[in-house]
Amino acid sequence: MTVAEAGILSPAAEKLRERVAASPAGPRAEVLDLDLPTVEVGPEDWLALARFLRDDPGCRYELFIDLCGVDNLKRRGPKSRFETVVHLHSFVKNEHVRVRVVLPDTPDAKPTLPSVESVWPAADWFEREAYDLYGFQFTGHPNLHRILCHDAFVGHALRKDYAPGQRWFYAEEDLRFPEWAKETDVRAGHFETQTISIGPSHPATHGIIHIVARLDGERIVRAETIIGYLHRCFEKMAEKHHWNQVIPYTDRLNYVSSMINGVGYVRTVEKMLGLTIPDRGRLVRTILSEFSRIMDHCVCIGANLVDIGALTNFTYLYQNRENIYSLLEACCGARLTVSYVRVGGLAIDIPDDFDARCRGLLESIPPFLEDVDKLVSNNRIVRNRFSGTGLVSRDQAVAWGLTGPMLRASGVPYDVRRARPYDFYDKFDWDVPIAQDGDNFARYLVRMEEMRQSLKIIRQALDVLPKSGPVNSDDWHVVLPPKDAVYHDMESLIYHFKLVMEGIRVPPGERYEWIEGGTGELGFYAVSDGRGGPYRLKVRPPCFPNMAAFEKMIVGGTVSDAVASLGTLNIIAGELDR
Amino acid sequence: MSGVVDVSRKYPDKLTLLQRLYIPEILRGMAVTLGHLVRNLANYKGLPTIFYPEQKRNYSGRFRGKHILKTREDGSLKCVACYMCQQACPAECITIVAGEHPKIAYEKYPVVFDIDMMRCVFCGFCVDACPKDAIWMTRNYEMAFFTREDAIFSIDRLRERPEEILQHGYGYRPYYPGDGTNPPSDASRLPVVPGGGERPRLRSEGVPLPDRDPGPGPLNAPSQAQRPFSA
Repeated sequence: MTVAEAGILSPAAEKLRERVAASPAGPRAEVLDLDLPTVEVGPEDWLALARFLRDDPGCRYELFIDLCGVDNLKRRGPKSRFETVVHLHSFVKNEHVRVRVVLPDTPDAKPTLPSVESVWPAADWFEREAYDLYGFQFTGHPNLHRILCHDAFVGHALRKDYAPGQRWFYAEEDLRFPEWAKETDVRAGHFETQTISIGPSHPATHGIIHIVARLDGERIVRAETIIGYLHRCFEKMAEKHHWNQVIPYTDRLNYVSSMINGVGYVRTVEKMLGLTIPDRGRLVRTILSEFSRIMDHCVCIGANLVDIGALTNFTYLYQNRENIYSLLEACCGARLTVSYVRVGGLAIDIPDDFDARCRGLLESIPPFLEDVDKLVSNNRIVRNRFSGTGLVSRDQAVAWGLTGPMLRASGVPYDVRRARPYDFYDKFDWDVPIAQDGDNFARYLVRMEEMRQSLKIIRQALDVLPKSGPVNSDDWHVVLPPKDAVYHDMESLIYHFKLVMEGIRVPPGERYEWIEGGTGELGFYAVSDGRGGPYRLKVRPPCFPNMAAFEKMIVGGTVSDAVASLGTLNIIAGELDR
Repeated sequence: MSGVVDVSRKYPDKLTLLQRLYIPEILRGMAVTLGHLVRNLANYKGLPTIFYPEQKRNYSGRFRGKHILKTREDGSLKCVACYMCQQACPAECITIVAGEHPKIAYEKYPVVFDIDMMRCVFCGFCVDACPKDAIWMTRNYEMAFFTREDAIFSIDRLRERPEEILQHGYGYRPYYPGDGTNPPSDASRLPVVPGGGERPRLRSEGVPLPDRDPGPGPLNAPSQAQRPFSA
């Protein structure tokens, strides 16, 4: 009998149980001790519990991380078919918590639960997504429409009984224009306001994003973002593949820093397996993740500055990116979609000249950053465009669920690498850059400083990186045996065959693991039913809440400010639409 | 582990008079960009831009480009049509149809081995999955097609050709020179036991062979064709 089976909770879960017992949900809520402290609650108590979790001084779960649905139709164990899984973070307690809203079975398979958009505004888009993909009815939601699938779509794609081969024809007249955009709005003493579409294919959107904005003269008075143009059913595809086969798909989430996605994903699976990776493998992952973060910020700042007219910086920053791509290519054979990590380690050991290449990059990157700093940081035009535009206060940033540089630029020093250190980040000497202003300039400064801190981390990691040694775990139930053994040894060949044909056997259960992606907290929520592939895989893309905040951020500013703000959000459409 | 650094302190909100005058800042900016120009002119060969397609980037030996099917010493494909690459492929771009090889040491061979290059994501999982060292990748990344059918590469376009390797070089593969691993022993060099390969003749000579349905495949086709339609 394990500790969990005996009903003994960890201290964190025990504390949570005491608090939840005092909440309006009271004895009807159950606290479990899984990978995270988990509250199980029915839909009737969910709204009251949500308010309590946010406001109670012993909880203060202010940051809304993620909301997703799970369909238990083909899984043994859970009592009801549908459940909504919510993850929250508390800055005071520095911990995550999971709330599972168990939805009672209804004859029409349309479960209803209250919307918590009024408690955490960040829940808005996440609830729309759960409505779109699972058909959950969120009562009290202000704008419950499909978000990732288009409006002519029939059915709910992530339900287990949805046949994935179906195709739904989408015509131009099916485009759902927001209701408010159709009405004319005549204000006293003003001309009639006009509604414009920015996008879907607009150079400033750097991807396919549709922004409907109502203008009063130059000022935006209302805006709504329509996304989903790049939806590629990542989560549905993951359910159809083996655990390792999902890795090339993760490369296409945030394709600017694809290494970080892979690391985040395999960490989740490794935690479910209880697998430890040799230090050398983890250090290589750390080094390449930090280089990827530099690339991410280079692309963000470079493209952002191009949008406001500063073209030269783009070439300086992109040269860093090209050089880092060459390093990645030398390691794994591809520049953009690296697929370098595997569950249990890396695809292949690093090349002999890895250290020299990395140190060369450490030499070549800072001069370019200094040049950009000289050109931009004290330039009057850039200051006028950036300072005071795209303002997000600290409270707004937390309420809108922003993470990463967006949140840190509003004065909240929340960095996953610091709050919950993984892969030796607690061993290195580095600072979390923050800024107080919460405007576009603050976000630019935070990103510039983060690149310098990343270089600092890489330098320390290279110093302790062992020259030789394994990068992979030697558990052949998870990692492919060495090729030499596969060719000449029957037992290894059997391991190899079982892994390729059946996939990794991950014990049944669920896990939420999160790391610091280029844009913010990148989380993977995986549910396993013991097969060779995920039963359910949910990505918590950092872009998603950031983009949801965009339509609130730009109100009151001009269109040109909106373009500058969109750049500092660092929206990667591959990750946003999945 | 260290602290938190507030970057807004380093860059005060108010610009100095010199910075607000704008002209000195323009000159400072020009100094940066012209510095790059002068340095690039002096080091013309080291420019980061490449005159593609005349000039090509030098990729590493791990580059994941077009696939090749490796051959044995006797020229036949190493592939034994075990379907492992087809199973491992996340993009489901490999189609294999197996046939029975006349040589018993090989057992099976691919009658059809198609890779749809439009579906392929060049992840290298097929190379990792192959237990026979039969599929490698090259550094050839220039594949353009006029039709979708053109993009489906069959055995004749995937079979390793020396001139292709000479031009592009090997890419991602299971082992590299000097990394301490060995290729699988080549079955074409082994004494082929039993006999030269024809099952019916061996059976008639009383060699104990597993008795099973040969299944579809072109090598079995002649016997199929000989069967009268009326039967």
